[in-house]
Amino acid sequence: MAEDKRAEKEDRDLVQRMASKDAMALDVFYERYNRVAFGFVMRIVGNRSDAEDVLVDVFWQVWQQAPRYDSSRGKPIAWLFTIARTRAIDCLRSTNRQHSKTDDFEEERPPAPPPSEPDPFVTAGTRNAVREALQTLSEQQRIPLEMAYFEGMSHTEIASALGQPLGTVKDRIRTGMLHLRKRLKAYL
Amino acid sequence: MRHSQLTDDLQERASLYAAGALPESERMEYARHIDEDQCVVCRNEVDELQAVMAFVASDVPPASPSPSVKIRLLEQARGASPVRPRPSFLRQRWLELITSAAAVAALVVLGAAVRANNELQHLADVLASRISQLEVEVSQQRTYIATVTAPDVRIVNLAGLGTNVGARGRIFWDQANRRWVFTVRNLQPLPANLVYQLWYVPKGGKPVSAAVFTTNADGSYDTDLQLREGLADLGTAAVTPEPGPSGLDQPTGQFALLGAAE
Repeated sequence: MAEDKRAEKEDRDLVQRMASKDAMALDVFYERYNRVAFGFVMRIVGNRSDAEDVLVDVFWQVWQQAPRYDSSRGKPIAWLFTIARTRAIDCLRSTNRQHSKTDDFEEERPPAPPPSEPDPFVTAGTRNAVREALQTLSEQQRIPLEMAYFEGMSHTEIASALGQPLGTVKDRIRTGMLHLRKRLKAYL
Repeated sequence: MRHSQLTDDLQERASLYAAGALPESERMEYARHIDEDQCVVCRNEVDELQAVMAFVASDVPPASPSPSVKIRLLEQARGASPVRPRPSFLRQRWLELITSAAAVAALVVLGAAVRANNELQHLADVLASRISQLEVEVSQQRTYIATVTAPDVRIVNLAGLGTNVGARGRIFWDQANRRWVFTVRNLQPLPANLVYQLWYVPKGGKPVSAAVFTTNADGSYDTDLQLREGLADLGTAAVTPEPGPSGLDQPTGQFALLGAAE
């Protein structure tokens, strides 16, 4: 836990330095998080070329918006992932629009990347706690949550895809997230 | 409208927002509610649930992007190359369209139109990127001006020492806002494994790192930076070479620049 706190403090310092347009801070921040961010973006957009374009956009947005980062609203890594998800979903939707405009575009989403070395800036304790929390999530909660978060699907689209009532889908997303929050409270 | 307490309905909406499950129109309305209505109840709930989802994101196996990504990013940040490449799917579509156009005359016309569109798109990307870069520069210039013209501005001159005897530095210190504008000229180039580090040295205290930087080819460097709260009164400011890329907690190198607060 102390490691997490130290990393968080260092992250906040880096964001503050980026706000002062210290390019070295951007360099260090990128070195810390490019792999976790890239894995996450790849999970959403599904191909390496688009994911690399998105990754540039993500860290460029971090650089530009560092002066507006509000530390009272969460850790820098949570801010980074929020930006990364937004940009990745934008790219996914843009790509899907291209799909719908042409009927011969072949799906190029590759299989999930093979397991790789864990990232040193997400500590083992946190990683294990997250994994345990996700494992205790029921399938009925996990599936709609992942469809929303990783596929960018709205609750109505999920309800339609799963053939479930809208209220059920909303409730399962809510209870799933509350379950995760309860399990991860100590790390928030 | 601001809410006074968290209800099940509000919690559900916050959960759907943080999970990204709200349809676009509802998402925009909810974002507006958080930002413009400044509803602390909803905002706190969303912030915490987004932190939860960041944990979920961090569970995805990491992957390494190609080294060119970092080069593109840092060039963009340093203003050297603001051009963003177009997404690969456009390149792929373009090749497919050219192939089709060779077979069907009508598609040639379509291909020409698409080409023009792509060129315009490329131009738009270049301009958008250039605008972003200029916005950053303008913002930086405004900060410089505000700091240099602050009513209580103090100036700390730094003199070059050792091999940097020809170098000069200056700090414009906006004391009320704890901001420094820092400029140097004629610093000697460093080996690739070293960076310059600027130190805030409080009276009777340990040096505090204020910035890490590398100079331009002519030995110059300009930046503005925010000092943290609670620093004791400034005694001296100094610049030393230190191991890169992020410097050290305490100085170990010879002074390159040194100046006392008057």
